[in-house]
Amino acid sequence: MMTYIVFILSVIFVVSFVGFSSKPSPIYGGLVLIVSGGVGCGIIMNFGGSFLGLMVFLIYLGGMLVVFGYTTAMATEQYPEVWVSNTTVMGVFLLGLLMEVMLVLYVLKSEEVGVVFKFSSVGHWAIYDTGDSGVFSEEIMGVAALYSYGAWVVIVTGWSLLVGVLVILEVTRGD
Amino acid sequence: MNPLIFTTILMTVLLGTMIVMMSSHWLMIWIGFEMNLLAIIPILMKKYNPRTMEASTKYFLTQATASMLLMMAIIINLMHSGQWTITKVFNPTASIIMTSALAMKLGLTPFHFWVPEVTQGISLTSGLILLTWQKLAPMSILYQISPSINLNILLTMAVLSILVGGWGGLNQTQLRKIMAYSSIAHMGWMTAVLVYSPTLTMLNMLIYIMMTLTMFMLFIQSSSTTTLSLSHTWNKTPLTTTLILITLLSMGGLPPLSGFMPKWMIIQELTKNSSIILPTLMAIMALLNLYFYMRLTYSTSLTMFPSTNNMKMKWQFETKQITLLPPLIVMSSLLLPLTPMLSILD
Repeated sequence: MMTYIVFILSVIFVVSFVGFSSKPSPIYGGLVLIVSGGVGCGIIMNFGGSFLGLMVFLIYLGGMLVVFGYTTAMATEQYPEVWVSNTTVMGVFLLGLLMEVMLVLYVLKSEEVGVVFKFSSVGHWAIYDTGDSGVFSEEIMGVAALYSYGAWVVIVTGWSLLVGVLVILEVTRGD
Repeated sequence: MNPLIFTTILMTVLLGTMIVMMSSHWLMIWIGFEMNLLAIIPILMKKYNPRTMEASTKYFLTQATASMLLMMAIIINLMHSGQWTITKVFNPTASIIMTSALAMKLGLTPFHFWVPEVTQGISLTSGLILLTWQKLAPMSILYQISPSINLNILLTMAVLSILVGGWGGLNQTQLRKIMAYSSIAHMGWMTAVLVYSPTLTMLNMLIYIMMTLTMFMLFIQSSSTTTLSLSHTWNKTPLTTTLILITLLSMGGLPPLSGFMPKWMIIQELTKNSSIILPTLMAIMALLNLYFYMRLTYSTSLTMFPSTNNMKMKWQFETKQITLLPPLIVMSSLLLPLTPMLSILD
């Protein structure tokens, strides 16, 4: 099972995406996002990106999703929609599950999957392993490089975040 | 809106487009598009009513989808070439997805449905920014990837855009929707010649921006958003009726006005590349555009449209000061004799 762990995790990833794309109430969407965030972290860690997985848990799940959960809890309705409460939601969820099952069978049956681009096995992606040149991990060196050579990226992303907050405040303020 | 916040957000729109146009790394280009999109939403929603909110939501959804497609194309390009520079798109799949994403951002058929609805829901000034400044960033990326674009897809989208822009504008009386359909048609002309000579795309973009700026400013001056209110300009400022006539005919592509220059150059470039049916079709379909411009001039400048008697005796309190309107009018109508100067571009 450990040799196919990335495949299994990616299937769970897609299923949880189907889970929140079928639009239950945001609270349940947040629940499924936690699952998908954790599973995504597992996929990245299997390629050697331990730092990036930690970032997903800390920042995405522990920061952004917590704030999202609190705001949704303030704005939620009395009987939020679950996957089984509404026929439409359940139908879309089952349709997504069905498509994922068919895709998994296609992958397991044939050597190579060529939907938008050719994908033959997980080993095919091994060239995108987060590097480890033996002395230091390239991941964390990337963060260090962000603050030295990539100072322009820091300025642009910092400015985008500030303007994002300004825009949201402006849009929700009304008249 | 607080003037300081408004200035900051407007500067961010400019910064976003500048980042898109000046970056050589695909990720920075994507960041520039997102910054542009995020900052223009409050500008579209300056007046707070359900129409602007709906228009801003539609704009946000379509542009965000286009950004997602662009990101997918960037990642496919990265997968096949291993590098992030923008010089050449190495994979045909990535090129097709990128072209579709940029077509969604520009408003080319079959992704044109948002343009009239969004332009109609927002104020005239916001519509002006939407139809002129927002076209610069995607067009600059199309210019940079033009050697690797699939010709069939781009030409199909271009010809369909000219057709839709002409036909869709036929039954409109709202001026903002007319300008939106005119924008769709002009984008079609621009992308038709992109693969053959990107310089002409930029020329068309320049002249289109000048003419659209002029038209919008003439509308803003008379605060008119429908054909009916535009037909009252003879009473408010009689001179603008003539200027509206000249600028609309220039937009329709009639010689001896400057709007003829891009069309002429594009048709010449296409025929030099041995495609004859295509420019013939494009020129015939531009007649549809000319028809509804002519209808606007008919009701505005050439006849006194029927109106009630109190509309014929308007008080004029203060004329709006429109920045740079006279130079814009001159440039959007009298540039045709400068066509030989285009030889400096080679």
